[in-house]
Amino acid sequence: MIEGRRNTLAVLATVAAAYAGFWYFPELGSTELNFEDVQYPRGFRRLSASESSSGFDLFIGMNAMGPDSLADAEARVRADICGALYGDDLSATQRVPVAFFTEYYCPYCRVQTRTLAALDARPDSNLRAIWHELPLLGQSSEVAAKAALAAKRQGAYVAFHERLMKSSFVATPEYLQALARDIGVDHQRLITDMRSAPVTEELENSAALARVFGIFGTPALIIGRTIIQGQIDEKTILRVAEMEIEEDWTSQCQTA
Amino acid sequence: MNKFSRLFVAKLILLVCLGFLGAGLASMSNAAESGSFSNPALEARLIAAENGVGPNATSLSAGLHLKLGEGWKTYWRSPGEVGIPPSIDWAGSENVEEVELLWPAPERFTAFGIENFGYHDEVVFPLRIALSDPGAPVRLNANVTLLTCSTVCVPQEFTLTLSLPRASGIDADAAALISAYAEKVPEEGAESGISIQSAYLDPDMTALTLVAHSERPFAGPDVFPELGAGTAFGKPDIRLGDGGRLLWARLPVLSAAADLPDLRITVTDGDRAASLFTELADAAPQPPFALDRVLPGLAELAWIAAIAFLGGLVLNVMPCVLPVLSIKLSSAMKSRDQGVGRIRKGFAVSALGVLAFMWSLAALTLAARGLGMTVGWGLQFQNPVFLAVMFIVLAVFSANLFGAFEIELPSSLQTRLARAGGGKGYSGDFATGAFAAILATPCSAPFLGTAVAFALAGRLLDIAVIFTALGIGLALPYLIVAAFPAAISRLPKPGRWMLWLKILLGLALAGTAGWLFWVLIGVGGMTSALAVLTASAVLVVILSFSRLAAGARLSGAAATGALAIFLAGFLSAAGTPNAKPATDWAAFDRREIPKLVSRGEVVFVDVTADWCLTCKANKALVLDRAPVRTALRAPGVTAMQADWTRPDEAISRYLETFDRYGIPFNAVYGPGAPEGIVLPELLSSEAVLSALEKAAERAVASGG
Repeated sequence: MIEGRRNTLAVLATVAAAYAGFWYFPELGSTELNFEDVQYPRGFRRLSASESSSGFDLFIGMNAMGPDSLADAEARVRADICGALYGDDLSATQRVPVAFFTEYYCPYCRVQTRTLAALDARPDSNLRAIWHELPLLGQSSEVAAKAALAAKRQGAYVAFHERLMKSSFVATPEYLQALARDIGVDHQRLITDMRSAPVTEELENSAALARVFGIFGTPALIIGRTIIQGQIDEKTILRVAEMEIEEDWTSQCQTA
Repeated sequence: MNKFSRLFVAKLILLVCLGFLGAGLASMSNAAESGSFSNPALEARLIAAENGVGPNATSLSAGLHLKLGEGWKTYWRSPGEVGIPPSIDWAGSENVEEVELLWPAPERFTAFGIENFGYHDEVVFPLRIALSDPGAPVRLNANVTLLTCSTVCVPQEFTLTLSLPRASGIDADAAALISAYAEKVPEEGAESGISIQSAYLDPDMTALTLVAHSERPFAGPDVFPELGAGTAFGKPDIRLGDGGRLLWARLPVLSAAADLPDLRITVTDGDRAASLFTELADAAPQPPFALDRVLPGLAELAWIAAIAFLGGLVLNVMPCVLPVLSIKLSSAMKSRDQGVGRIRKGFAVSALGVLAFMWSLAALTLAARGLGMTVGWGLQFQNPVFLAVMFIVLAVFSANLFGAFEIELPSSLQTRLARAGGGKGYSGDFATGAFAAILATPCSAPFLGTAVAFALAGRLLDIAVIFTALGIGLALPYLIVAAFPAAISRLPKPGRWMLWLKILLGLALAGTAGWLFWVLIGVGGMTSALAVLTASAVLVVILSFSRLAAGARLSGAAATGALAIFLAGFLSAAGTPNAKPATDWAAFDRREIPKLVSRGEVVFVDVTADWCLTCKANKALVLDRAPVRTALRAPGVTAMQADWTRPDEAISRYLETFDRYGIPFNAVYGPGAPEGIVLPELLSSEAVLSALEKAAERAVASGG
């Protein structure tokens, strides 16, 4: 009986120690990264450990922009995938571009935003974040995305983004007005820009890119030429970025 | 839901229950469920408790059944800081007046500092459906929008349809699922025994502080306040007081909406939950203990260590520890011839055993805290299996001290231990220490409750210090003997007095066993306790049956012991009354009704079932509430309840006499109404009271 109790205690202590180990040192479980090439766009690949899109109906949440309204946008982004994904100044920097598809109503997007913003801000960082608003989760989500893109036109994207990512909100006109006042952007211009063609086009481009790359949920990252669906930790982002540099991702964007 | 629609709901349920009656006749093959929508994140379908819509039914009990893929979650009506609650649009449905979706109590998910509330694995949202045309076929068309997240969030939009023809009979599987999750829907009244005593939001909107009270002690409570869609709260700091009956919680406000609706607080605790609207108070309630004293400087840490050390030391003279210490000392007496070195080491190892137990506790406390659990000191003394083990150990040891049998190790083990040489006996010493520490836990509660509460709320360092100091205090007698083995030689020489001492120690152990037995009765119930007692007696008899071979005795003893432990768990689980509050309902007996009525009494009959959502509404809104509750308890009134959760021929035949095939069904009998007054499916206090009055009428007339 006593022998048994001692064994039980030993087992419990081991379990507790193992639990504490994994809690404080999550990297204990890290493994080799595996990739699989995607059919299209050619040259891109998917991180195998990330969520697979198979079985999901793509673009369930895009009720405001049906697949048809994306046809033009899709043609636009297919013509210059790298440009649409990473912007035009590809050669301007040696950093690996990270396209980040995010929105304001997805819990893990907030986690990923923090990680990526911190990485992007490091002076010695070898990566560069490009934000893509992909509002899949209903009307308030879409309004928030438009407001953020409109704020970008007044140079307040980061401030807007940070505020929205930090709080719990319903994107009502009153909320946006208060937010614009707090951040110091022109509310009237914000509203006008939200309805403007460039903002709509930017949103449509991001949605079309998501469709082209088979992204079915948020958050999603495309690092160099690697597609990653779902939240991943800083260490994995850095490892993938390293590999992209070693394997010269830039060749992908020169040919595509 | 307003009263009008509630009426519809009740009628619907009646109809449904009518179908139930037909269950005996109709085949069960009419599974009442929709086609399913599925992808890797979830599988969704609509289910209904009944196979169809019974005659005149005005309401239906249905549910949205979600099975989530591994790692996927979906959300509660308040999803937390961020997220989207499920919503259903019923456009395109036929014969549906109104649908009320009930929210089972959520669980808390914390990932990277973001708090979310929702469900994983499986959930059923019970649906209370009111029909516009009683008894007519129903077509449910649910356009569902919900968010599923694993590490990626995927919105889901799908439509499920379920057609229910005119039919009767219960879909037992669906009914069981709906009732299981209806049980998890937080109570909105006092039924759960949980009440909110005070809630305070400071003017700067930095934190919400609240105090809840429970009739039963909280085991692992959590708190989910709701203050509009734009308001989010952080992780609660929860502290228990008043023997676990008082819950104090403080939640930081992460963001606040401009207009605040009424505060609604949901408290969950294991299987029970309450969701209560609360007024805000003018001042913050005080916590049961202060944290600022727990996150101390060095001086305060030393102070806490000193208290814990003293507490540990005091434990040695507690009735549940002293006998163990005595055993240790008497065994040391026996082995005095082994030399000072051996005694020293033996006692040092015992001290280590005490410390090892305390450190295990510390590790478990940390792990549990990491999991978000609240651990109560002495909590294991609420576990019947643990109690049974402790009781058997003590009973056997005291029988041993009374001389019923001698403990002998099997020869093979003896050989092994002998081969291990000097190691022999140290494991025993170690176990004595650990055993003493385990036994100390019930006695420590009154002395150390505060220190342990500190430990649970404190830092890793605090926990390590508190448990180590406790262990050293408890181990001090062993350490003293280890340091000054001479102390042992001051003990009297063995002699006839030892027999008396042995019996005295046996009495002390038997006393502790008796106390544990008493605790076990409280925790596991009389049946369970008696089973353990009987098994222990058998165990002692087997052990003392010296003509049996040692091996046979040991295996017999082990089997009996295992049986006792199993019985303790099994019987107490079976014997534990369920969480429902005790009612004054008599069991339904149709033959009793005329007898009672002839004596001038009034009889109220309620036919109900666990899966019947309208029955639950009736109970919560009318039957369990004043003035009806008082009226049903009045002298001269007998309230009978028939449980139709599982098909019951007798109840079905009874309902049939009223041309009813479904529930809820309520009727009142009395001298004024010997044939019974049938009440509407959806009860109102007025209807019940006037029927009671009418049924009693002639009694008054003839009596007067």
